[in-house]
Parts: sequence; C-alpha cells; structure tokens
Amino acid sequence: MSFDLSALYRALPSLLVGATVTLRITSLSIALGLCIGIVAGLCRVWPNPVLRALSGVYIEIIRGTPLLVQIFLVYFGLPALGINLDPFVAGVIAMGINSGAYVGEIVRGGIESIARGQMEAALSLGMTWHQAMYYVILPQAFVRILPPLGNEFIALLKDSSLVSTIAIAELTRTGQIIITRTFKSFEIWSGVALFYFLMTYVISRIVRFSEERLRYSE
Amino acid sequence: MSEWVVEVRNLNKYFGRHHVLKDITLRVRFGEVVSIIGASGSGKSTLLRCLNGLEPIQSGEIFIDGVCITANGVNLSRVRQSIGMIFQSFNLFPHMTALENITLAPQKVKKIPRVEAERVALELLRKVGLEEKAHAYPAQLSGGQKQRVAIARSLAMNPKVMMFDEPTSALDPETVKDVLDVMKELAREGMTMIVVTHEMGFAREVSDRVVHLDDGRIVEEGPPEEIFYRPKHPRTREFLSKVINI
Repeated sequence: MSFDLSALYRALPSLLVGATVTLRITSLSIALGLCIGIVAGLCRVWPNPVLRALSGVYIEIIRGTPLLVQIFLVYFGLPALGINLDPFVAGVIAMGINSGAYVGEIVRGGIESIARGQMEAALSLGMTWHQAMYYVILPQAFVRILPPLGNEFIALLKDSSLVSTIAIAELTRTGQIIITRTFKSFEIWSGVALFYFLMTYVISRIVRFSEERLRYSE
Repeated sequence: MSEWVVEVRNLNKYFGRHHVLKDITLRVRFGEVVSIIGASGSGKSTLLRCLNGLEPIQSGEIFIDGVCITANGVNLSRVRQSIGMIFQSFNLFPHMTALENITLAPQKVKKIPRVEAERVALELLRKVGLEEKAHAYPAQLSGGQKQRVAIARSLAMNPKVMMFDEPTSALDPETVKDVLDVMKELAREGMTMIVVTHEMGFAREVSDRVVHLDDGRIVEEGPPEEIFYRPKHPRTREFLSKVINI
C-alpha cells in the first residue's frame, strides 16, 4: 500500500477551486438560513398563535425530511411547476430553507433560555411585549445563540457536499471528478477531507473569538 | 378619583384545578403600607402577581387607581406604569449597568430624554445609597445592592403604588437591613406599599395594616398591634406562634 503524495499535490489547485465553490454556496445558504431562521424563531415565541403554528409546521417538516430529498425537490421537482433553477441557485435555496429550520430552533431556544423573570420585570415597568423582547430579551439571547449557531454553520458546510449530486462542482464533486481520471481514491478523498477540516476549523475559531469578545462586554 | 389605589373584589384564581386564591377582597388607601403575611404556598406572591396582571384571574375584579385591569381590552402596559414591582430574585437586566437598568423604561416607555432620565436615575441611586455603583453591572453587585437598584428602577417610573414580593428572602442576612431601611424610608415619605414578607419585625414596625393569608383566603386583617399581639383567628395564632417569639 502506498500514498501517492504527488497525485494529491497535482490535485490541489482543482480542489482549491472546489473549496471556494463550497464556501460560496455555504455562506449564501447561511445568509438565507439566518434570515429565515430569525423570523421563524421569533414567530415560535410570538404572542400570535397563528404565526407560532405556521413556523412550527415549517420547522417540523424541514427537520423531519432529509436535506438530500429537499435538494432533489427544489432542483428536479420544481420544474414540474414551471420553475427551472440553475443548480447553484437551487442548492442555495434548498440549503437555506433547510438551515432556516435549525436556526429557528436555535433562536427559539436562546430566547426561552432567558429567565421568565426578565420578561416579567420589563412588563412590570410598563414596557410592551415587543419593547421587552427588543431591549431586554434579545440582547441576552444573542450571546447564548452564538455557540449553537456556530455548530449549525459547520454542519451546513459539511452537508453542502450533498449538492454534488445536482452537478455543482464544489469540493466533493471536484474530488469525484479527479478520481475518475486518476483512480487515486485514497489520496484525493484525504485531500477533500483536509479542505473541509480547514474550513470548519476556521469557522469554529471565528465563533469562539466572537463569543469571548461578547462575554467580556457582559 | 377614588380614595383606593388598589381595590380587589371577590378575586378567584386557579392553577388548573387548584384553587389558589379564594374570594379575595382587599382595599388599599393612598399612602397606606399593607403587609401580607402567611405560610409558604398560601398564595401571597400569586395575589401580588395578579394585581399587576402578570397572572390571569378566573373571576372577580381588580382596580388600580380606579382603572379596572381585569376588563377586556385594558391597556395593561399603561396600568403597570403606575405599579412598581419588586421581585424576590431582583430581575435586574444583566446586560445593562445599574444606570441603564434604571433609565431604560423612562426613556422607552415615557419618552423622557436620556439626559433627564439619567439625572433622575442618579438622584434615585443616591436615595438608595448606591450612587457610586451607577456604572456597575448587576453581576458586580451584592444581593442587597441589586435589590436597591431594582427599587430605584421601579421608582424611576414614578409609580402610585409599590409592590414587594418577598424582597429580602433571597438576600444574605447582612444585606437585608439596607434594603429594609430603603423601604422604611419610602414608607415614611408616604409611598403606598403592598409588601409580601416573612420579615415579621418589618411588618410590625412599618405597616399600617397586616393581612394574613391562609390557604388562599384572607383569614384576618388589622393593625399590626392587633394581628401580632391579639390575633383572633386560630389559624393566625398558629402561624404566628411558628414564625415569631414575642
């Protein structure tokens, strides 16, 4: 058994290009997921029961079905309704909608982790529910939301390998293509894993850093 | 304007099937200090929480300064501006300094300019003896200091009545006195106060009236000298014999 380092070395430029595609699709999905998730999470705790129920249904359905199936639905399913999406756009939409459900649960959990006495104290001072949420609950919840949010970003980055199935030349797909040419499975998959690890490591450092900054200011 | 700042008529409150407040009728005059005493679980704190609308009630009426807060469509936020509420666990906002805790509601609810709100806040901090702690965060304060900041925070809204829910129960013994002193000072200045307390000394010394709540019912009320020295109801006698040695 041998490990052909030169094969990996030759593949690096292509893998790097694949990694940038992975980063692009992940960061766009994170942005979309954050927007959806913050709204969904707030709706989960909103006094309005209709909003609560709607976002509950969204979160349950998304969390109860595989991301791969959601990607296929958006890319292969929507054309039946006359909606034809570019693979990259379909990937971002599917991953964004998927991540939104998890972010929504994280936001809800963060808000509910703030002691009930905080809301009661704010209401007792004559604030409305919305004022109490905005000035008292959310600033505290934000600090608690950050660590699980970091985990969600890391999970999403790794799950982005699933969009390789709809012909997006991201990191995993790039690896597959190189292997069909070179048959160097072990070397190339090791390289792919290394790239994923480097990216998730950077994200986790960034999250850790901002977490510490916020703690000091508390 | 009615002479009662708080008026409760036939209030009943259930938690599920548990009947926690039974036919409570209570009136509090402007400037009066009323202490509510009773065993744990007798419904004292729940009664207080009903009075500012934190707990829904199942029947009866509550009037705060003539406004019925149990009517449909009442603006609770508006009513609560005239009720100061002090909690056992302080509930200061941990992400804000003492000064910010005090100035938040005046600025956001009453739209008072920041400079003016801070001037009033510093005055109140001086009143509770914590002027030098204006820029401290709650985590940097002792329990007694936190509770005094909480009192200043409530006073900043210029309430008509102050309600205290066991304000000293969570405190170290050595910080209790500072809080009680602030409360005594408020009482002397004529603030209307309703105090749920286990501090029998405070209840006896400061109250105009003492209410004994037993199993969700007001079993006896009267001036402190009567309740403490000549209790009529056997349940009151029993309760007092357990908590004090006069």
